[in-house]
Amino acid sequence: MNRLHTLHILNKTPDHPRFSECLGTLGPDDAVALTENGVLGLVSSKALSSVQTYALAADLGARGLSEDNLGAAPIDYAELVNLTLQAERVISW
Amino acid sequence: MGMLIIIDQPPYGTWAGREALDMAFALAAFDQPVSLLFSGAGVNWLRKAQDTAGIEQKSVEKNLAAAPIFGIKAILADRAACERYNLDIKTMIDGAQLTDANAELMAQYSQATFAG
Amino acid sequence: MTHSTTHATTRTATPSFTLVITGAPYSSQAPQTALSFAKATVAAGHTIDRVFLYGDGVHLASALVAAPSDETHWPKRWAAFLEEHEIPGVACIASALRRGLVDGDEQKRYQLGANNLLKPFTIAGLGEWVEGNIKSTRTIYFHAGA
Repeated sequence: MNRLHTLHILNKTPDHPRFSECLGTLGPDDAVALTENGVLGLVSSKALSSVQTYALAADLGARGLSEDNLGAAPIDYAELVNLTLQAERVISW
Repeated sequence: MGMLIIIDQPPYGTWAGREALDMAFALAAFDQPVSLLFSGAGVNWLRKAQDTAGIEQKSVEKNLAAAPIFGIKAILADRAACERYNLDIKTMIDGAQLTDANAELMAQYSQATFAG
Repeated sequence: MTHSTTHATTRTATPSFTLVITGAPYSSQAPQTALSFAKATVAAGHTIDRVFLYGDGVHLASALVAAPSDETHWPKRWAAFLEEHEIPGVACIASALRRGLVDGDEQKRYQLGANNLLKPFTIAGLGEWVEGNIKSTRTIYFHAGA
């Protein structure tokens, strides 16, 4: 398993200042887990394309987004829990 | 390594910053290492001469000036945000250190959080 | 076969979590995301040391919420989860008092007309959050989104 230094939990859309603040602090071994409205960043922004990105399937489904061709791995809550334990640190933006 | 409490919203218009300060002071009271990072619009907390009487709130200037005495290790301010909001050494309270809010900075702390 | 003695073995301790909720129900998704996360945590065999409500999150502990019958009643949902798994739920006193969430003791102290804290939530200071921070394997925050 690759080292996961920091997991960034992001529930803000790209329009929110915290979206770019979060991206500005990403290190090479970090990953982003998009939750709630944050999943919309996959549709409206290319900024995540070079980042290891996960997205809560429940939030994708709620917003009518298909899990295919998103550029992110859809996860359930159990996998989110796993990611928080796998990461050395977790930051919620 | 210590906790970094991040404040990215300006004072007085919302309460998230005050609640972040409370978290920082609580950690310091329990002898936990903690630093404050002001970023984005949050750098406006650091502007001198805040006269809050007209809006009936307590000024945070004194709290921030007292932060080191209460055990807060550092008061950091994002350089780019300070520029954006026209803040420099002359207009900022004493004790704030300019820094860049990037991966290198974040890596120095074992935890980082916002109050909300 | 040897029996373990009183010294610690190399068995890994069960990961434990402190969950902090700062977003209010019906204003944000934070209580729902946090509850789904909490359920998955427990289902995986991990421990939740404490759930701490801060800022607007204290509204989750209100006993006076009257949700429409076709909507989830978030305070009751959370109360049931906390009771089922015997997890302490704490509302930060500074946040709670400012927002009009009080228990019997605070009602007396401030001579207020009523109290409205939903069992099993209790009211306590930020020291409980600091303690959780120190003790738990992970402290995860659920803020209001945008």
